[in-house]
Amino acid sequence: MILIVDDKQENLYSLKALLRLHLYDADTANSGEEALKKILKNEYELIILDVQMPGMDGYEVAETLTGHSRSRDIPILFLSAVNIDKRFITKGYASGGVDYITKPFDPDILLLKVKTFTRLYRQTKELNEIRETLEQKVEQRTAALVEANKALEASNGELQQYAYIASHDLQEPLRKITTFSRLVSDRFLAGIPQAAVYMSKVMAASERMRKLINDVLDYSKLSDTPKFVPCSLDQALQDALTDLELFIREKQAQINTAPLPTVEGIPDRLRQMFQNLISNALKFSRKDTPPVLNIRGERVAGKSLSAPVQEQGDYCRIYIEDNGIGFNEIYLNKIFVMFQRLHGKDEYEGNGIGLSIVKKIIQRHNGLITAESKEGAGTVFIVLLPLKQPVINQPAELP
Amino acid sequence: MERLAPVFLLVDDDLDDTFLFEEMLQQVSPTVTFQNAINGKEALDKLRAADTQLPDVIFLDLNMPRMDGRQCLSELKNDPALQHIPVVIYTTSAHPKDISQTMQNGAACFITKPTDTCELHNILTMIAQHVHGDLKGALAHIYCYDPDS
Repeated sequence: MILIVDDKQENLYSLKALLRLHLYDADTANSGEEALKKILKNEYELIILDVQMPGMDGYEVAETLTGHSRSRDIPILFLSAVNIDKRFITKGYASGGVDYITKPFDPDILLLKVKTFTRLYRQTKELNEIRETLEQKVEQRTAALVEANKALEASNGELQQYAYIASHDLQEPLRKITTFSRLVSDRFLAGIPQAAVYMSKVMAASERMRKLINDVLDYSKLSDTPKFVPCSLDQALQDALTDLELFIREKQAQINTAPLPTVEGIPDRLRQMFQNLISNALKFSRKDTPPVLNIRGERVAGKSLSAPVQEQGDYCRIYIEDNGIGFNEIYLNKIFVMFQRLHGKDEYEGNGIGLSIVKKIIQRHNGLITAESKEGAGTVFIVLLPLKQPVINQPAELP
Repeated sequence: MERLAPVFLLVDDDLDDTFLFEEMLQQVSPTVTFQNAINGKEALDKLRAADTQLPDVIFLDLNMPRMDGRQCLSELKNDPALQHIPVVIYTTSAHPKDISQTMQNGAACFITKPTDTCELHNILTMIAQHVHGDLKGALAHIYCYDPDS
């Protein structure tokens, strides 16, 4: 519906008749005040507004309308016989009009303008409605996501708790098995070598299980919210080498290291990453050759394992190279999966958790890992770590 | 005056561990009187009974039903009649938080239950030898015993 505002009755009649003739529904108001009242009550798609009226004039009406959200989008077409000077026309646009027509006007042109503006209004309205719906949907989705995230955090916390309790409770009976086996062995089996062998197998198996449970426990702890601090990779590597001292000596391994940069990370986890990678390399060494490991790093330009070297790059690529038994690269995906082993337990020790922990630690640090290898020709593990970690809003620590 | 036989109190809900502990204690020193309670509440009730002979040392497990070792420890240390008795935390946990909390709350030392009975034997021998001497000093020397580390 179109609203015509004019203080002269004859103008209202003629314009209404013209619009009716072209199938436009039209309403009329005799004054600015009446127009405002009607606009509050009804919905109009165009207002044809006389400029000079007693009381509120057209400009004032337009200014009032553009100041209200309900009426802001209704196009206003000024129509004036008196104020045809340029400054009146400018004022009309400034007060919120979309067009300014002076009398006498061409009815055809007026009708074309009416057609254009009403169509524009309808389109604007539709767009607004779509926008509102979209905003609502985004809000709903965001709320749903926040909820889902909360639930996920809660269930993740529960799962960690569960893993911790399960591991702890699994250790209990195992501790008894070890204790009492040892007691029997010490007190009663001194003269019975065969029984002593059996009992030593029981104890060895218990020890393996204890390690396994500890590793599962470690893995579950990796899901904690990370607290990144500046962390010297050199230090992490040295700590890992210290922890592995006995194993290294036993294997007569030679380990060559080159300086590594400092990254933002979790120091103990990065130590564990090196420790697992090195102990993996030592485990899968060739039986006839003492292991030689080369560990070095370089700064690279981007988050890609093949990113070009760049002295001031934001990422650090680390190579852990060994001369061990290697593996067929078709198994590359398998080696990082928990409990996956490429060799029989009688050939090489291990429980298939070490590298899955490494992968999880690197993912925690927003990094990447891969390996290049050939059977019998050694393996290179390639790790990519960012120097800086994204700043995140850390949730409050659980009690 | 003749010295009374030393009294060791073990507060632990694990009957296997209690059994082993008592057996080792008898081996170490047949004159030691062994008392036990299966949770913190029972321990406090026994200690606060009028006719009781207070133990020379209390071994306290942490994870127990009804009243756990953490709560029992703070009750002990807040009781003027009991706070002088050295408390040895004797548990399967080696959690840093458990260690730091119990040591702050007045435990004399923290022992992770060994799986090798020889080690338990050694610890009990050492404690039995110092029971009438500088026991707290001896326990402080052990401070934190974890057979795995």
